[in-house]
Amino acid sequence: MRIFKIFILTILLFSFSPYQAFADKSDDTLVIAFSREITNLDYHYGTKTEYLILGDMIDDSLFYVENENLTYAPSLASDFNVVDDVTLDVNLRQGVKFHDGSEMTSDDVVYTYNFIVTNEKNRRHKKLVSWLKSIEKTGKYSVRFNLNSPYANLFNDLYRIKIRKNGIMGTDGNWDDNAQATSLNGLGPYKVVSFDPGVEVVLERNENYFGGPKGNPAIKNLIIRSIPDMGTQQAELMSGGIHWMYNVKKDVGEAMAKTGKADYQIGPSLRIGFLVLDAGGYSGEGNPITKLDVRRAMNHAINRESIAKNLIGGPAKAIHTACNPVVFGCFQDVMKYDYNPEKAKSLLASAGYPNGFDLDLWSYRDKEAAQAMADDLGKVGIKINLRHGKLAGLNKARKERQIRAYFGTWGSSASPDTATISNIHWRDPNKGDRNLSGDPKVNELMLGAEQTLDIDERKILYAEGLKLIAEQAYWVPLWSYSEGVLSSKDINFKQDADGYPRIWNITWN
Amino acid sequence: MLRFIAGRLIVVIAVAITLSFITFFLLNYAIDPAQAVAGEEALFEEIEQVRIQYGFDRPILERYFEWASGVMRGNFGESYYWNKSVYLLVLERAPETITLALMSVSVTIIIAIPLGILAALNPNSIIDRFALGIAVAAQAVPNFWLGLLMIILFALTFPIFPVSGDKTYFHFVLPAIVLGASSVPPVMRLMRTGLLDVVDSDYIRTARSNGFYGWNLTINHSMRNAVLPVVSVLAVQLGHKFGGSVITESVFAINGLGRLALESILGTDIPTVQILVFIFAFMFLIFNLFADILNAYLDPRLRK
Amino acid sequence: MIFELIAKRLYPQAFSNNLSELEPKHIFLRKSINHLGFKFGLTMLLIIVFLGIFGPYIIGISPYEQDLTKRLLPPIWVEGGNWEHIFGTDGNGRDYLARILYGTRISLTIGFGAAFVGMIIGITLGILAGYFGGWVDQLVNYLLTCQLALPGLLLAMTVVFLIGPSITVVILVIGVLHWTLFLVVSRSATQRIRNLDYVLAANAIGASKYQIIFSDIIPNILNQIIVIFTLEVGIAILSEASLSFLGVGIQPPTPSWGLLIAEGREALFFQPWLIILPGIALFLLVVSINMLGDGLRDITDPNSKIEIQSKVEMPLSNLKKNINSKKN
Repeated sequence: MRIFKIFILTILLFSFSPYQAFADKSDDTLVIAFSREITNLDYHYGTKTEYLILGDMIDDSLFYVENENLTYAPSLASDFNVVDDVTLDVNLRQGVKFHDGSEMTSDDVVYTYNFIVTNEKNRRHKKLVSWLKSIEKTGKYSVRFNLNSPYANLFNDLYRIKIRKNGIMGTDGNWDDNAQATSLNGLGPYKVVSFDPGVEVVLERNENYFGGPKGNPAIKNLIIRSIPDMGTQQAELMSGGIHWMYNVKKDVGEAMAKTGKADYQIGPSLRIGFLVLDAGGYSGEGNPITKLDVRRAMNHAINRESIAKNLIGGPAKAIHTACNPVVFGCFQDVMKYDYNPEKAKSLLASAGYPNGFDLDLWSYRDKEAAQAMADDLGKVGIKINLRHGKLAGLNKARKERQIRAYFGTWGSSASPDTATISNIHWRDPNKGDRNLSGDPKVNELMLGAEQTLDIDERKILYAEGLKLIAEQAYWVPLWSYSEGVLSSKDINFKQDADGYPRIWNITWN
Repeated sequence: MLRFIAGRLIVVIAVAITLSFITFFLLNYAIDPAQAVAGEEALFEEIEQVRIQYGFDRPILERYFEWASGVMRGNFGESYYWNKSVYLLVLERAPETITLALMSVSVTIIIAIPLGILAALNPNSIIDRFALGIAVAAQAVPNFWLGLLMIILFALTFPIFPVSGDKTYFHFVLPAIVLGASSVPPVMRLMRTGLLDVVDSDYIRTARSNGFYGWNLTINHSMRNAVLPVVSVLAVQLGHKFGGSVITESVFAINGLGRLALESILGTDIPTVQILVFIFAFMFLIFNLFADILNAYLDPRLRK
Repeated sequence: MIFELIAKRLYPQAFSNNLSELEPKHIFLRKSINHLGFKFGLTMLLIIVFLGIFGPYIIGISPYEQDLTKRLLPPIWVEGGNWEHIFGTDGNGRDYLARILYGTRISLTIGFGAAFVGMIIGITLGILAGYFGGWVDQLVNYLLTCQLALPGLLLAMTVVFLIGPSITVVILVIGVLHWTLFLVVSRSATQRIRNLDYVLAANAIGASKYQIIFSDIIPNILNQIIVIFTLEVGIAILSEASLSFLGVGIQPPTPSWGLLIAEGREALFFQPWLIILPGIALFLLVVSINMLGDGLRDITDPNSKIEIQSKVEMPLSNLKKNINSKKN
């Protein structure tokens, strides 16, 4: 009987606990939701877009992609000078302060880059600056970068590296990777107040922010909540628990807008979708995909326009190149495959598969589009066994060379240059597992375009490479995505041309 | 009794060790640990570097013993997905799961015990049928679906409870109902049959013939005898809740161990999943042991 | 009523008033027509199975046919619905009724398949443990504890990661995680039966172990096994739905109900029928199977007090006598 009483008492106790009030305009607190969790504050240790967004709020870097023309603008740098192909001089903004109040000088910049280059554990960013030969201090507010060889995507990489305070990550040989993981002394427009990994990040405006291309935020307090379920996010938005969510599909977004409880914007995104085909026969020689006519048939079989328009919506469009048409170097005058099932069937027949064949198609996101494609391919005789699963499963199968075709997407992380997609996807096949073309020429052209600063030469190399990819149908380029954002009526959020959400520009209505 | 408990404890430990080994083995074959650490954009050579650097190239048994001896010394390892020690991670997330587990068992008690008593007091009546209906329904409803319905109904259509999160106890009410519902059928049935058996037994008949009647009688005489088996089943159910809250926690965005487990599996974080499976199994075993002891106390024949 | 009519038509002898002449199947029949839950569950299950098998042909629409211009149409009772798609369409413009009807087959296949796998494992271990006792029994007991303590969902996810999802893998994984009830029942029954006189006698006259197991033990535990099997089918169906909901079960475009619920999850508030309809289908199927199982348990339970005829209780000894007389 006593147990019984205790339980009843517990329940009574629970029901009297105070119900937390929602944060909102009255206390100048903006709440946004991410569906993927943030486990580490330090941008250098995360790969997801969410880390990039957070990084732009709490950190700053020498350069930044400004939203008007999608070009790289100096941020912590005040100006720069390209001395020659392999030397870059950067002058730093003066009077910029870290969140702890200390001033940023060239020592911090040199320290940061030396940390990134010599830290064996942080392979991702070490690789990012593989072009860097050395960095030297040329004055209290100036540094010089010496490059190994000419490198085109330099400013993008300078944007990726967030400047850390001198000494904060430890010393060479004794780097502390977790130094900034749970609390962070950054330079960005917001400061971290508290952080609960995988749950929420509480930020407060950095009143000493220098402005720069990002500008000073209008809203004082910002809470980022991790809510894995999109349905739950919508409910929170409707009930006032959050103000902003993104990656919202058009059906949901439009329906929500109709209720009048939120605004929906669907704008362009740098993300594209594509099928990677095992033309090189890595998954077994002589498989159907190694035949050019089969790959071309697949290009003809998928009704990209219909899927882009009906499933994705917004400004999503069919694409014919292995890059998003809006980014630098994405040459468009390549061989185009129209939607033509009859032609696809005859190509299959001429390749020796008049009755089609069975194919495992791997995918990990955008289940509706994957099913629509599978349906289209089925209509021309390629019987698809869809392997829709988790990314980890796909990665493992790809590494083990089991994959003949997979549906990939690439978001380019707010970087408007073909280099960002090609240096991952057209890597030397002996070093990575994404380039399944089996054609060394593709690697040579697409990565060669990064090795020069000459804009015209880069364009020519990308054009050659993209033409080759289209002609040989190494991929089935599918469509560009669109980015849907739901925002509460209380706030003003303007979507930018690259679909990258610049949260710090949000204002109250 | 002590010998009985000691014997059972040895079984618990042995089972926990076996399970941890099975999990270790499965996880390390399902996921390439070096690839998981190196990240999805890593080059082949980097993956191989990691393999050597972290010692993933050594035989699996050797790695298992290293892991196991670490756990014995209280070193749960480092999570490479969450960038922190698994020990801290578990410590942070455990309170939410414990709260949810306790509250869901409270929900079970609040629904199942009165229903069971009422059903037993009025066998074959409308109340009895109703109770049975609840049990049948609770058994057949998928909990992720119930969770979504609850959100539509009680958080949006009638905004009584918050949609998600774990800030206050209020946030736990809906998930606790969802999680608690699945334990209602066994507990209610046991309560009902337990009471019916006692009511049928001789000493209650004697009590009745002596003039005791109704509620008073039921409470005073029957409950004492019927309630202990129910408590032992509740203990088993509580043990289940720790590992059983995976879906409920992710639907309601509660940052407990269940959601941690799900996200760690999707993030291929072997050290965390490994420890969590171990913890879930261990909790289950401990609560079962408690139930067994209770049963043995009730029925000395079981203490063999 | 209909039950009674059909039963009387088919087995008139079952309704004779001479109770001592009744065969076991007649007793079963007479008990079952008096068990409301059993009748209800059986009727509902038959209807669902019928719909699952013939429904797709009746409505004549393929559950796989996509039409991207007709996405997310509402069902007939919601404004804007039409008779062409009674339950509306899903995100790929497929007929939702066709998908839900077809989903019955998936659920039933997996439910029965997984329960069968579990049954084979459970009975084998149970009979081994019960028949041989000693260390075999202890080993099986140990396995049982391991199985009970396993966080099944997490392990299932890992295994599906390892092998990749398919209907066969899902059936095997769920089956391997659900055999404990079969084991408990078959073990205790075997322990009881192997010490019965006639089995000892059979042993003495040199009957092989296999003969004894197959001719004496299995027929005797059949009743209980059928009951557990039925209940496990329901549990397996729910497990499949959970796995598919988490994206590690049945692969799209195969219309598993769990998958349909997961796909409708994002549009929870605007197209709630996308999750409510498959949820109801799942609920009804599992309820009917559970009621059938509960009913079977009551009916075959020798201690049950279900009336054969009003106010006349069937003495258990009759049932046992009948079984034994058939044996000898």
